[in-house]
Amino acid sequence: MVNWVTLIDISLSGLGLGALYALVAMGFSLIYKVTGVLNFAQGQIAMVGAYGVVIFGTATVLPAAIPAWAAVLVTVLLGVVLGLALERVVFRQFIGEPVLSVIIVTLALGSILEGVIFFLYGQNAQAYPEALTFGGQLSLPLGTSIQAAYAVAVAIALVVVAVLMLFFRRTVTGSILRASASDEQAAMVLGVSIERTIALAWTLSIAITAIGGILLATSSGGAAVSIENTGIIIFAAVVLGGLDSIPGAFIGSIVVGVLQELGSYYLVGGTAVYVPFTDIQANFGAGFGEILPLVLLLVVILVKPYGLFGTERIERL
Amino acid sequence: MPCGEYFTDYESRMGLVRWRTQKIALAVGLPIPFIAPFLLGGGTTTLLTQAYIFAIAVLGLNVILGYAGEIVLAQGAFMAIGAYSTSRLLAVGAGLFPALAVGGLISALVAVGFGLPSFRVKGFYIAISTLALQFIAEEWFFVNSQLAFIHGGTTQSLPSNVGLVGSVGTLGTTVDKYLLALVLMLVFAMLSLNLSRTGIGKTFRAIHENDLSASVLGVNVFKNKLLAFAIGGFMIGVAGGLFGFQIGFINAEYFTIGLTLEHYVMLLFGGLGRVWGALLGVGVVTLVQDYLNDGLNFLADLTGTNATALLPVFFGAIIIVVLAVEPKGVLAGLGKIKEYLRTWPFAY
Repeated sequence: MVNWVTLIDISLSGLGLGALYALVAMGFSLIYKVTGVLNFAQGQIAMVGAYGVVIFGTATVLPAAIPAWAAVLVTVLLGVVLGLALERVVFRQFIGEPVLSVIIVTLALGSILEGVIFFLYGQNAQAYPEALTFGGQLSLPLGTSIQAAYAVAVAIALVVVAVLMLFFRRTVTGSILRASASDEQAAMVLGVSIERTIALAWTLSIAITAIGGILLATSSGGAAVSIENTGIIIFAAVVLGGLDSIPGAFIGSIVVGVLQELGSYYLVGGTAVYVPFTDIQANFGAGFGEILPLVLLLVVILVKPYGLFGTERIERL
Repeated sequence: MPCGEYFTDYESRMGLVRWRTQKIALAVGLPIPFIAPFLLGGGTTTLLTQAYIFAIAVLGLNVILGYAGEIVLAQGAFMAIGAYSTSRLLAVGAGLFPALAVGGLISALVAVGFGLPSFRVKGFYIAISTLALQFIAEEWFFVNSQLAFIHGGTTQSLPSNVGLVGSVGTLGTTVDKYLLALVLMLVFAMLSLNLSRTGIGKTFRAIHENDLSASVLGVNVFKNKLLAFAIGGFMIGVAGGLFGFQIGFINAEYFTIGLTLEHYVMLLFGGLGRVWGALLGVGVVTLVQDYLNDGLNFLADLTGTNATALLPVFFGAIIIVVLAVEPKGVLAGLGKIKEYLRTWPFAY
């Protein structure tokens, strides 16, 4: 018999995880939409964001720590600078190059960022400064509960998503971004500077991804290398939602988050469900929760490659 | 080499050994790697063996990526599949060649399976689906003890003395492994060279250039893509099996996305779609990696930091610089220099 309170609990934390993934996924979609670059380094950028707070907020690398809120601010600024620098130094060289080159460049970039983090911290998890760790549980109606750290991270993530949506809908800069994403040449004719738009897109994308990384770390109490895996899991989200759809990325992330949490609880270890009408436990072994979204990804690519909201590509000779 | 085009028929134009210089180079150069292990130390021999094995894997990647233009990011997973299959077959005493062949076949089968989406989508969707395969293999499948009945355990030791077929022709010394890897590498290099010169290879290239045009011209794009996946997957699987046999011990940690990236560095550095490029890339990158590793280890001891973790940083930087400066690889750059010298002092 299914325990409904547990099911709601798990689904809630799945929704929350999805909201956290949504930031990284939206960073990915944004840059794909505007520049056509498929960024395989999203996971590593999120990891840099997560470890950035550790670098500035604790005295592990730098001689002295700065207050936690300042560390977060500095890390987001670092994301902005990183975005500008990457666009200027790396990705500008590869405009008009084949897809392969760009994909390999992002992979190489990911390995560079990963190498730097491993150089600084090894593969160990690092605790966040006191001010950013929230203990305890938050009770919700129907007897369900959610961890406080998680709730805070999710709340901030939802606020960021809402602000982003408003930014795209309500501001001139936002509509410029949308315009250049939908038709670059038409936007140029109307007087949009594509160069500046692309720089803006990179900045925004990497800043959001870094915030996503920080929140993912906050929700689990500290930065860990496993945040890197986000980079692969969000592919499931963006492909499901349609690669070039930002709302699709959000919805895909929610689905993926719920799937991952349900998978980790009901298909792994002692809590695994029983296969109907038998007494075999459907235990797929540790880590299957993260695999489940990828299985979904493979199914989506086989069945409906352009996702729920993506535009189908029409080819001409 | 004379100046200008001197070929009068197709056969001599397409020949592998076309000039007298090349004939002499072949006669002088070919015996060198066969004599080398008797002159070099054990460490260098092992390093070269590993380079040959990686060359087979990179040649396999070259068939899929360089010829057919499909971006596969599951190099580590394919090698792992080959290595674990080989290990299991060696454990029951099947002998090396059958074990390698079956490992390659299973690898090819998985490669074809993950090539199936290419029926409907192209380009980066294959990159995403194979990246998912790599992640599944690396983070779950091969480290999952519950699945030991399939892969036989995350860490396995391979027997050090193995017969080529059954228990006939036992080999196990460093020199034996070196020669085996060298011969297999030469076989696969010839295979790829001939593949690129014959109809299949040209079909692959047509698909690479523009698959829509190719299909309009009557090429069965889907079938040929799967064929490329099968051939490349087989070679990568065999390389994985050899790799396991050479170090005598396999662990899921060897076959990560880092390995995939390393092979991409090798292939792109040398030159995509060229056998000599792949071989050159493997040679140079293996040597550079060896020196870098020594240097970083020294630095790590000296400063007490985790300097060895910086190796991927160098690789990442190399790959970005190569792609920005000479996207067709070092071999194409050398070709430009040769062309310039050939016609010097005239512009053309």
